[in-house]
Amino acid sequence: MANSSEATFSLRGPLAGFFSWVLPGLGHLFIGERARGIVLLVTIVGTFWSGVAIGGVRNTVDPKERKLWFMAQMCAGSNAIGAVMLNQRLEKSSTPRGPYLSSEIAVHFTGVAGLLNILVILDAIGRAEPVTAAPRSRQRSTTNGP
Amino acid sequence: MAITLSTIFITGLELTGPQRLMLMWPLCLAIAVVYKTVRCEKLTEIVSASLILWVTIIFVMYAIGIALWAVFELLV
Repeated sequence: MANSSEATFSLRGPLAGFFSWVLPGLGHLFIGERARGIVLLVTIVGTFWSGVAIGGVRNTVDPKERKLWFMAQMCAGSNAIGAVMLNQRLEKSSTPRGPYLSSEIAVHFTGVAGLLNILVILDAIGRAEPVTAAPRSRQRSTTNGP
Repeated sequence: MAITLSTIFITGLELTGPQRLMLMWPLCLAIAVVYKTVRCEKLTEIVSASLILWVTIIFVMYAIGIALWAVFELLV
């Protein structure tokens, strides 16, 4: 039977994953992996916004024309949400789109940043879980026998 | 300065072909750094491991590109 402390620890994984989605690297900071979290935060956020700077936000984050890429971009969490909000704001003010060639590169930068964040989310969940994994494995080894 | 900062995410860059190829480098660096940050247990290993992976990715991608270009030139 699970006690209250075990239930608290079991939330570490999902919470770390959620925090990693909200802001890349935040999940690692949450579980105490400070240096790793900062490296991931700087790299992914830097890659995402470099992409937006290369192509311009109106060409880069476009949920209507680039649906699949947008799904990848959304994995970068708050970065993508911020870019969408900026895009919608510029759309209302009818700001012209940037050059098309650079937008292809920009979409790759932002999409890859989002996909890399999936790796970061899974890693954060994996690193948060061993706290509960150890007692379970001991329990299994005693119940299942040799 | 303020105008540049405000327009940096709004106006896209005008890129030429070689410049587009050069932009592969920072993207590959980001991939290498994130992958090795996740994989390496010791943080001190990240820098060297990332650099090796970065160089490997770029070298192999250019090699594949040159090979495909050569095949294309031979066939067409």
